Formats: sequence, structure tokens, C-alpha cells
Amino acid sequence: MSAQRLARRIADDVFEYRVETPQDAQALASQLRALDLAEDVVAGLDTVSVRCDPEYLTAVEAALATFEPDAAGFQLESETIELSIQYGGEFGPDLKAVCDQTGLSESAFIAVHTERTHTVEMIGFTPGFSYISGLPDGFAVPRLSQPRSRVPVGSVGVSSDFTGVYALAGPGGWPLIGRIQDLLFDPESASPFRLSPGHRVKFKAV
Amino acid sequence: MFQIVAAGLQTTLQGAPRLGYRHLGIPYAGPADALSMALANRLVDNSTDATCLEITYGGFEAETDTACAIAITGAGGEVLLSGAPAPMHETLHVPAGARLKLKPARYGARAYLAIHSGFRARAQFGATSTYLPAQLGGHEGRALRAGDVLSVTAQAQVRQTWQTPDALRPLFDGKFALRATISAETELLDDVMREALFSNTFIVGRQATRMGISLEGHPLFPASDGMMKSAPVFPGTIQCPPSGIPIALLCDAQTTGGYPRIASIARCDRHQLGQMRPGDQVRLLHRTPEQAVIEYERKQVLLNGWLDRRA
Repeated sequence: MSAQRLARRIADDVFEYRVETPQDAQALASQLRALDLAEDVVAGLDTVSVRCDPEYLTAVEAALATFEPDAAGFQLESETIELSIQYGGEFGPDLKAVCDQTGLSESAFIAVHTERTHTVEMIGFTPGFSYISGLPDGFAVPRLSQPRSRVPVGSVGVSSDFTGVYALAGPGGWPLIGRIQDLLFDPESASPFRLSPGHRVKFKAV
Repeated sequence: MFQIVAAGLQTTLQGAPRLGYRHLGIPYAGPADALSMALANRLVDNSTDATCLEITYGGFEAETDTACAIAITGAGGEVLLSGAPAPMHETLHVPAGARLKLKPARYGARAYLAIHSGFRARAQFGATSTYLPAQLGGHEGRALRAGDVLSVTAQAQVRQTWQTPDALRPLFDGKFALRATISAETELLDDVMREALFSNTFIVGRQATRMGISLEGHPLFPASDGMMKSAPVFPGTIQCPPSGIPIALLCDAQTTGGYPRIASIARCDRHQLGQMRPGDQVRLLHRTPEQAVIEYERKQVLLNGWLDRRA
């Protein structure tokens, strides 16, 4: 694992590490969480933030200064999960714009998206929202300049070279290409989250 | 039993924030104005984060069929107890069969109604606070409506009549000055815009929810290609999307975001976000993280002198 040696302060109550990959971020975050010092430890795609009560700031700072991450002791999920997706139309109102940006026809885009095996890199944003890598290198889809105030549950968006699935209805800034029917977050279930970091994902057009 | 007669624009049950689940995408929730909720709980002998009603923009009415002790703090319109004016920031000993009415406030956005021993609410992921987007906690995970019946966790008496000390009562006048630090992507602002961040007066836009508050009037443009990798955000983070309109995040803030994080509101002043309404004026006062912590500790000492003191 490659991580910055020291975290920097990004708020009065938040420290942040920079790392190379989403896997590094997950590994570092899970080890920091195990220290049980902070209010929250949250992984980004190339960052890990540690938020603490200012009362324990000195203790947290001291612990972080001597903390040595260990990449070996961390195992991600590896199961493959298939998600059925309806592309374009009312389900993916930005599919055409995304295709224009990437220079692909809609059918070519769908072929690329369904043929590849994707990987869940991170859960974040809202409950169960999944950041899924696997689009070809060089994909560079920007976010919407003005986020939508309401995106339906199951909406699938792309941003940069990630696919993102909205597990809840709510505001969202990713251009939308389609929608899945499966629930990714069910608080009433014994295992509320369908996807976890490391899961492989295959999209199936329906 | 405590029956809702009119719920106003949005009334939810809020208690402690849902800490420790952000890595699963689960926001904190909890009160938008944690200070006002703590003050309300104090007046009815509760712990600071016992479950309360958070009432948005007044227009609230309820009836109780049992005697109870309640207190109302936060954004104040007129309070009527069975038709007679009643004070905010004071323990109210409510007789059985009373009707309580809270009229809309001129300034500020949210009032907090605490009841002795706290409202009963569903705890999910470790907290009772309502998180509407995922229907977690509170009363069936939703905003309250007319006809809903709430119960309290235990019956007991409050003997004293407490009043919040004058010096601790927040006043709302539609103008906010919030201490703030720079954050992870502040460096993407050029010198002129960095200066503007801490000298402009922003106007709260139409988007002023429990999730975020847009700060309009002086667009800021971080040098970003829109391809930033999603990174953790928290209540207090100020993000800046390409529209140039910064968004200050609060209690229901998403857990990660892909817009540059240009500032962070200091922990000591975050409670004020919960009282902003469209059209209000907001200034950010620059602090280093170290200064902000000292000011937070000072404020805690001042508040704890009251919140921790029980007869």
C-alpha cells in the first residue's frame, strides 16, 4: 500500500490521507477504523478522512503520527453480481450526451458497458451508492454542472471513468445512462447492502 | 400521548447523530441546529441528544392527553398553550388536554420541542434520528403529519421550571457570521477568489435543506476539470460545483462528493446552518484549524456550565 506518511488537516476536526488507489483507501480506512479513536473514518477514491471530536484531537493526532498501515491483512469481497439495466430513454436521459462526449454510438456504449467486468471500489454519497470501476481507460465524462434535485432510485450514472448506482432517490450530479431494478439498500434486511467494495459487477441490458 | 394536529412544512423526530456509518454511505442526520436541541432538552432534564421534534418554519399544532413537561427553543414564532401566550426557552408544565400551537417565525428556520424523557422513536443504525431520503429512524422514517400519535419513553415529573440563561439564547436576525477554515481543495481557488471567499457576503439561495445550503451572490470558480475523484465530505464542508455556487453541507450531508472542498465551517458554528433561510446573509470568518479548536473549546466550556448543571 502506498499512503502519504502523515495526514493533513482539512477542517478543524478532520484529518485526511492521500493514497494511490481505491483499494489502498479501503485498506487504510479499515485499519484506521479498527483503532476506534475517531467519530468516523471514511474512504474516498484516493483519500481517507478521519473525523474526531476536538476533545480527542491530540490523542488522534499522536496515534496517526505513529500509525503504520499494513496492506497484507486486508481482504476485499470478490463475488460477482449481475445487475439488469435498462439503458437510455426516460431511464437514462443523459445517455446521448455521454455518447457524444465519448465518441461512441449508443449501441457501442452499451456493448462496452455490458461486456466488461466492473469492480465496486467504494460505497458512499448516500446509503449504498456504489462507485464501480471498469469503463475503458480514457473515459472522461464530467459531472453535470448543476446537480439534479431528484434522481430516481436505481439510476445508473457515469462520471470520469466510473459507473455509479443511486441506491436511493435523491439529488445527484452524475449524467444518467440507465436504471436497474434491484434494490442496493434495504434497511429492513439483515444485510442491508447488496454491494461491497471488491465485488465484481456485470451489467445486463434488458 | 402527544397527537400532531398540524405538522407545518416539515417536522421530524431528531436525536443523536448516526455516527460511524459514513463508510456505508449513511449520513449523520440529527438536529440541523444541535445547540438549540441541546438547550431544549436541558429545560426538561433530558440528556442533550434525547429525541425531540424538529419543526421547520412553524405552523405546528399538537394536543396532549396527559400532563407533560416540554420546552421549545430555536426559531421562535409565538407559542400558544391552549390559546394563552407561553414563553420559549422555559420549562412548560402542560396539563392533560392542552393544545399547543407554534406560529411561524420571522427569522430562523427551525424550532425544537423537547419533552421530558424524550419521544419514542425507531432506532436504526444506532440512532433514532430521522433521515428522510432513506426513511431511517424517527416515526416510520418519515416527516410527521396531522393525526400522528407520539409517545414518550417514560412518565415522570419535572419539578423545576428552568429558563435558558439570557447569554446562551441564540438570536436570529437573518445575518450569519460563521468561523471557517480552508479545506482540501481551497488551493484550486486563485488568490482573488480565496480572498473573496472570506470577504464576500453570500445570500442563502432557494436550496436550503437539511442536506445543504447554497451560498449565492458571489460565484467562485475553482480551477477544476470536473473530474475530481470523489472524496469524503462532512457537515460543515463547503463544496463548490462548476456552477460557481458554493454549497455548505449540514446534518444530512452526503458522505462523499466530487466537487472541490473549498472551505469547512468550524465545528463551533455549524449549528447556525440549521437556522438559515433563503435570502439570509452569510459571511465566513477565516480561522486556522488550531484557532477554530480553541474557540470550540471555549464555547463548550461556556455551554457546559449550563448544560451539565442539574439541581
